[in-house]
Amino acid sequence: MSKTASKLEAIDLNAYYGDFHALKNINIDMEEKAVTAFIGPSGCGKSTFLRTFNRMNDYIEGFRVEGQILIGGQDIYQKNVRVDELRKEVGMVFQKPNPFPKSIYENVVYGLKIQGIKKKSVLEEAAETSLKRAALWDEVKDKLHKSALALSGGQQQRLCIARALAISPSVLLMDEPASALDPISTAKVEELIYELKNDYTIVIVTHNMQQAGRVSDSTAFFYMGELVEYAKTKTMFTSPKDNRTQNYITGRFG
Amino acid sequence: MTNSDINRLKDKAFQVFGIFCTFIGLVVLAVFLIDIIVEGITRIDWDFLTNLPSRRASRAGILTAWVGTLWILVLTTLIAFPLGVAAGVYLEEYGRKNRLNNFIEINIANLAGVPSIIYGLLGLEIFVRQMNLGGSLLAGALTLSLLILPIIIVTTREAVKAVPRSVRDGSYALGASKWQTIWNQVLPASFGGILTGIILALSRAVGEAAPLIVIGALAYVPFTPSSPFDEFTVLPIQIFNWTSRPQEEFLTNAAAAIIVLLVITFLLNGIAVYLRNRQQKKVKW
Repeated sequence: MSKTASKLEAIDLNAYYGDFHALKNINIDMEEKAVTAFIGPSGCGKSTFLRTFNRMNDYIEGFRVEGQILIGGQDIYQKNVRVDELRKEVGMVFQKPNPFPKSIYENVVYGLKIQGIKKKSVLEEAAETSLKRAALWDEVKDKLHKSALALSGGQQQRLCIARALAISPSVLLMDEPASALDPISTAKVEELIYELKNDYTIVIVTHNMQQAGRVSDSTAFFYMGELVEYAKTKTMFTSPKDNRTQNYITGRFG
Repeated sequence: MTNSDINRLKDKAFQVFGIFCTFIGLVVLAVFLIDIIVEGITRIDWDFLTNLPSRRASRAGILTAWVGTLWILVLTTLIAFPLGVAAGVYLEEYGRKNRLNNFIEINIANLAGVPSIIYGLLGLEIFVRQMNLGGSLLAGALTLSLLILPIIIVTTREAVKAVPRSVRDGSYALGASKWQTIWNQVLPASFGGILTGIILALSRAVGEAAPLIVIGALAYVPFTPSSPFDEFTVLPIQIFNWTSRPQEEFLTNAAAAIIVLLVITFLLNGIAVYLRNRQQKKVKW
């Protein structure tokens, strides 16, 4: 996978948890270096879909996928794809900030260390660059070796973003990254997303319509495991084609 | 009396009953401790700790017994720690939910309840006879390892299970393999709990006499062991031996040895509590 080819596609994708049909025949084509938002009511499959792009669902017993997920044209569910290689390209930020119970520095360099990179100068430089990119450097530069768990929730989430950036992925998956944060931290994370899209292909799951409107270029609306509508965010929010989309974004259900 | 009065009365009654029950246990323990200490504390001196066993009570010491106990502690730790932790991690992290693993799990839980003398018989057959180790320290340590393995496995599993899913997810999402995640995240985060379990298991092993008597540990060993293949005795066996003698002086010796054994056990428990508290302070989810 090359850095420039980070276009995300799904072709006839179906996913199951045991007997439950979680994703139904999804076809989508997402732009490179842009922000795509997944919206929809709880349980509609948007998080499941997000997690197929770095195969985080592999750990769930009874989960299986049919169809194709292409990243830069390559089917990532092929047998010869190594999951650890895939995840170097596709970073992920979770709903609840989940820093490791280690120092701030150790959190950021973890991804590099498990790749076998030991050289201190390389690690330190990567830590500084990533923390700067995540707009956290100024707040933590004097306490890099303090516990990450002592940071505030918003800082922890930006640390998790820095941690994901440190291994230089080309795609960033964000699963409701601001839902556990206060408004000020949320604004910071959104600003960050806006900056990062110059270099990364970003997919963000969100429950917050305003957030989808503010940060995303395109929006996909999911309902009961189906991709109901996918369009430029502006178009979708002003003139949705499907009735269900209209009802959802105007707050009539969900 | 209204309904709520009756409820309040019941509440009070149960509280009093609870306090009473708590005190029964504590009082019995306290009486026992005081009795032992009064009887034995004056007998403990340097000579008592450094003398070899003797037929004359006033000259008898517990050197071979406590050195033996220390040997057993160290050897048992070396054997049971890697085996128990590895088995616990396997069952919790790798073991899939199939028949075989269910069977293993149920049996481990059952093994924790098997009387220790049965382990002694097992040790006698396997280690002493089949493996030809004789009544040696190694045979004893192996037997006690079998005895405490179930405890270590169960506490390891509990500690590993307590590490939140989100930490593992974070590690996997950065490209870590399962083993890297276990080694770098799960084990460090659960180490306090694992250590606590091991120490508590060891403090149980330290007090065991029955399985060691079965495998042929002797009360009278005229030398301190210098290798794992030497014969040995331990404090509980020495105590057992002394309490079964008719002379009053030997009972005093036994009381003194019990104090030493209690000190070792309390020390181990103290370390366990300390480690657990430190861990709880360090890791906050």
